[in-house]
Parts: sequence; structure tokens; C-alpha cells
Amino acid sequence: MNNKDKLLTIINEVLEGTQREKMSKIKDEYNLRLDIGFDSFDLAELTVRIEEVFDIDIFEDGIVETIEQILIKINEK
Amino acid sequence: MKNVLLTGCSRGVGLVITKVLVSKGYTVYGISRNLSNEYKNLMNSFPKKIKFKSFDLSNVNDINKEVFKNYIPNSTKLHAYINNAAIAYDDIITNLNVDRLENMFKVNVFSPLNIVKYAIRNMIFNRNSGHIIHLSSISVHTGYKGLAMYAASKGALEAFSKNTAREWGERGIKSNCIVAGFMETDMSSTLGDDMKNRIFKRTSLKKPTDLNSVANTIEFIISGNAKSITGQNIHVDSGTI
Ligand SMILES: NC(=O)c1ccc[n+]([C@@H]2O[C@H](COP(=O)([O-])OP(=O)(O)OC[C@H]3O[C@@H](n4cnc5c(N)ncnc54)[C@H](OP(=O)(O)O)[C@@H]3O)[C@@H](O)[C@H]2O)c1
Repeated sequence: MNNKDKLLTIINEVLEGTQREKMSKIKDEYNLRLDIGFDSFDLAELTVRIEEVFDIDIFEDGIVETIEQILIKINEK
Repeated sequence: MKNVLLTGCSRGVGLVITKVLVSKGYTVYGISRNLSNEYKNLMNSFPKKIKFKSFDLSNVNDINKEVFKNYIPNSTKLHAYINNAAIAYDDIITNLNVDRLENMFKVNVFSPLNIVKYAIRNMIFNRNSGHIIHLSSISVHTGYKGLAMYAASKGALEAFSKNTAREWGERGIKSNCIVAGFMETDMSSTLGDDMKNRIFKRTSLKKPTDLNSVANTIEFIISGNAKSITGQNIHVDSGTI
């Protein structure tokens, strides 16, 4: 599984936790709030789940708004 | 199995909390700088139920790594965090020493707040409606000469707790403060009889606060029997007036 697929799995875990429909794919330009519909609690859960898998806290230094920005942080690690 | 992170486990109230929680089937993850003989004996009696990590809470920045990744990782589902460790800096305001003040705030406030950050992260990872309990002090509500700086650190916790309850209630996470009255522990051992008597006179029961009643109140709050209690300051203080 590449990092983008792993990220999709994590996003779906967050969506499932609140009984929302899973996504079949994500695009780099997707905005986490506007396109995926995450609120600040979802983003907190997303951060925790990403940290568990990739050992990186995506919100530690600055704001992350899109899938691409997350992937850059993960790949930089 | 319900896991509880308890700071200040080695002595005083922390030791009594450990005994009460273990007797009710909880697993206690204790933290303090020193492993006391009393705590060691408890560990020997309940080897699987009582853990210990030596950590100095003045190291605010090491919390994530030492307290969580190396001791309570996400695979350990956290049921409650009990912020019990604290130091009391006792002096009149005109003698305020900034270094001592800063160290007290690190131990009493900054580290506990940082622990709450990671405790909530553990709880959302595990989708667990957990509890946060802070040990506050009656000095926040009833002034005492010499306790202004200490009381200020506890007042900060009460404000933080109220807001934690508001912010995370939606995810089922609860936060409460136990406002303890004067108890006979090492912390209060430096007070003279005269001062102690003046403190007792301000209580309805004219007695020090019983450590067991503090520990059992905490156990009640984190048990399934108090599900609707959050954002509260619960006074266990011999009726201080
Ligand atoms: N005693 C009272 O009259 C009274 C009244 C109201 C509220 N309270 C509150 O009740 C709680 C318990 O107090 P207590 O009377 O049991 O106090 P205590 O007897 O002085 O015990 C304090 C505990 O905190 C630990 N601790 C202190 N500094 C630490 C540090 N830098 N890092 C890690 N652990 C540290 C100590 O262990 P080590 O020394 O091994 O580190 C010990 O286990 C505190 O929050 C206190 O403010 C007490």
C-alpha cells in the first residue's frame, strides 16, 4: 500500500467512527474541511491516527488544509 | 480492564488513590520521581495491576515521549487521567521568587495540561469516553495567607477543566476537579499547629479532610455510576466555610 492509500484508509476510519459514508478515492487537491467535511474534532482524530501509523504530528507546526499538504509531510519524514 | 494514569502515586493522597482503584479492579499506571517503599509493596502485592514510571513533571517537553510513547502508547486504552502530583510553594506575595514560581507552574499546570493533550488523543484513538480528574485545593475558593501562588496554579486547573469539559463533551470525554480541603500529608507537614488549628476552625467538621473520602470520590466519578457529572468542582473539604 502506498502512503496515499494508507491515508485513504485512515480517513475512512474517521468517517466510519461517526457513521458517515466511506470514500472510494481521494485527490491531492481535496480540502479536508470543504471536500471531505471534517470538523475540528475529526481533524484531531485524523492527526492521532496519522501519528500512530507514520509517527508524525501533522498539525504540530502550522495549518494543514489539503490531502497534498499531508502527503508532503508524510513523505518528508 | 480499565487503565488509569495517576501522577504523584508514591506518597500521600496518590498512594491512597492507588489502593482504592486497585481494590475496584483498575490498573494503575503510576508516576512520580521516586519509588517509595509503600508503593513498591503495593506493586509486589498486585504485580499486574500496578505499574510505575519514574518521571519528573518539571520536564514538560518530554511528556509525549516518556509518559505516552514509552509508557502508555495508544495500544493501552486509557480510561482516566488523575492529575494528583503537585508541589506547594508557600510564601507571602512580597517574597515571590520567579524561579520557584515557574517550577511550581511546570509541575502543577504545564505538565498536567500537556498530559491532558495526549490523554485526550489516546481516548479519541480508542474511541473511549474517558475521564480527566484534577486535584484542586480549597485555597482557590477560600484565601489563606501564604498560599496565593499555589492557589493560582490550582485555579488555572479549575478553569482548564471547565473548558475541557465543554470542548470535549461531544466526544464523551469528561473533566472534573476534586477540591480537597486540608489533609495530613507531607505537603502540609511544614504547617505549624497554630496554622493547622486556624484552618480546621474554618471547616464545618473541625477536622482535616479524610484521604479515603477524596480517593473514593474520585473512584465514584470515574466509575460508570456518575456518567452525567462533568465540568464540576467537587468539594471534599470537611465543609470549609
Ligand atoms: N495536603 C493537602 O492539604 C492538600 C490540600 C488540597 C489539595 N491537595 C492536593 O492534593 C494532591 C496530593 O497532595 P499530597 O498532599 O498527597 O502531596 P504530597 O504528599 O506532597 O505528595 C505529592 C506527590 O507528587 C509527587 N511529585 C511531586 N513533585 C513531582 C514532580 N516534579 N514530578 C513527579 N511527581 C512529583 C510526589 O512524588 P515524588 O516526590 O516521588 O516525585 C508525591 O507522590 C496535590 O495536587 C495537592 O495540591 C493537597
